[in-house]
Amino acid sequence: MIRVEDAATGVRTITLARPDKRNALTPEMLRAITTGATHPPPAINAIAITGEGKAFCAGFDLRAHPHQRDHAFIRELISELSHTILALRSCPVPVVMGIHGSAIAGGCALLGGADLVLAERSTRLGYPVLRLGISPAVSAPFLRLATPDGPSRALLLDPELISAAHAHRIGLVHELINTNERLHAHTLARASALASKPPAAIRTTKAWLTQIDGLDESVARDAAEASIRALTDETYALLEQEIWNR
Amino acid sequence: MTDLATLQITGRAARLTLNRPDARNAMSVDLLDALHARTDALARAEAVSACVITGEGRAFCAGMDLKAIVVGEGLATPDLPERLLTSIAELTLKVRALPCLTIARVNGAAIGGGCGLACVCDLLITHADAKLGFPEVDLGVCPAVVAPWLVRKIGAGRARAVLLRGGVMSGAEAAAIAIADHAASNTEEMDAAIDVIVERITRAGPTALAATKQLLNTLDASLDPSSVLDGAKLSASVVLGDEAQASLRARLR
Repeated sequence: MIRVEDAATGVRTITLARPDKRNALTPEMLRAITTGATHPPPAINAIAITGEGKAFCAGFDLRAHPHQRDHAFIRELISELSHTILALRSCPVPVVMGIHGSAIAGGCALLGGADLVLAERSTRLGYPVLRLGISPAVSAPFLRLATPDGPSRALLLDPELISAAHAHRIGLVHELINTNERLHAHTLARASALASKPPAAIRTTKAWLTQIDGLDESVARDAAEASIRALTDETYALLEQEIWNR
Repeated sequence: MTDLATLQITGRAARLTLNRPDARNAMSVDLLDALHARTDALARAEAVSACVITGEGRAFCAGMDLKAIVVGEGLATPDLPERLLTSIAELTLKVRALPCLTIARVNGAAIGGGCGLACVCDLLITHADAKLGFPEVDLGVCPAVVAPWLVRKIGAGRARAVLLRGGVMSGAEAAAIAIADHAASNTEEMDAAIDVIVERITRAGPTALAATKQLLNTLDASLDPSSVLDGAKLSASVVLGDEAQASLRARLR
């Protein structure tokens, strides 16, 4: 469900390849992304991440293990999501993400691990998970690096989705691309351009930015814990009503 | 040496000019020494409320002088890059600490450290066709000194995209991502916009202005020297690497 391919251009492509489920995330998929971003071979100088099918990513696959009173499956997803974003930030080479269709909840959170985000213009982004009694707190520390407090609050507390144009205005997306057909090519082109730059300068610059951007990993872990603690019977009832019994 | 930067004070307004137009105001050790001296003088000029920082000639500042960072015979000694980068880092801290409002008048190219100096100012005003940016990574160099300032100005996410992508952008593009606070359509309109701001601020209360600026510097830890000074060391070590030296030497020819 995750495809990792290394090209001669020095670009490693990680593809979310579960199109029949709009690339809904399982813990295995998140672990595969984490592995793909950890210790890439020296010949790899950039990573490109895209999604196959109609959407970049619809968020967690909440149907995979229904009716769990203790939410073990969702807890695992939240914890793996946090690991994946941290792994992408620690990855020595730049990460370019190309998103289209929708980047929802966990799918939107993945942007926190990208150095450069390209979005097709009709993409919808956001965190509608409060409707399911799930807290998007896990994303907050990463989102705050991309955009100031005002837009971060709006995005995390209002379950409405935003347009790619709005995401571009607030700094969550860096480049808008006109069509889905072009998105993939543009994402690869950006990644190849980064891969062709002097590698020591790029690696040192990324590591320095990660060092100075003010994110303490313990804050990221606390944020994941906050999301996990907020999983209650209320979550269970809402998931029964909105997902599992539909 | 002092001619390499000039300071004019007229009442409550000042103008600090990088004056090495034949080298596009590239930062040499001598130019930086002159800028340090002028900035010290400005810090002592208590009556000044607003200072416009600009470049003589067509460029604002082309960044580091290549002759000071390419090591070799007739070129730089191996200790020079770190001295130059540390001087740039200290200058940015000094400019940030000025109690007056600083306005970068980006009249033309503001590249690398030159764009960094402009981003340290409280306001960055330019025109649509000026070229700004951070092409350091394209040359094998790490923009470690300017990174903390750019992170403060436009946020960590956008700074990441800008610094890793490298290249340069137009004044209009710089305004779209808030690197420039205003991009006028041409030089005349840029100067008119700056005149309006200077006029406004020289009528304002200087104590309130200085207190506000001091608070903003405290909130974003602007005057903590560690990140920019560590950045200077890191950047110097990358500059001295084979990758950077080969690419910079090729540019020098």
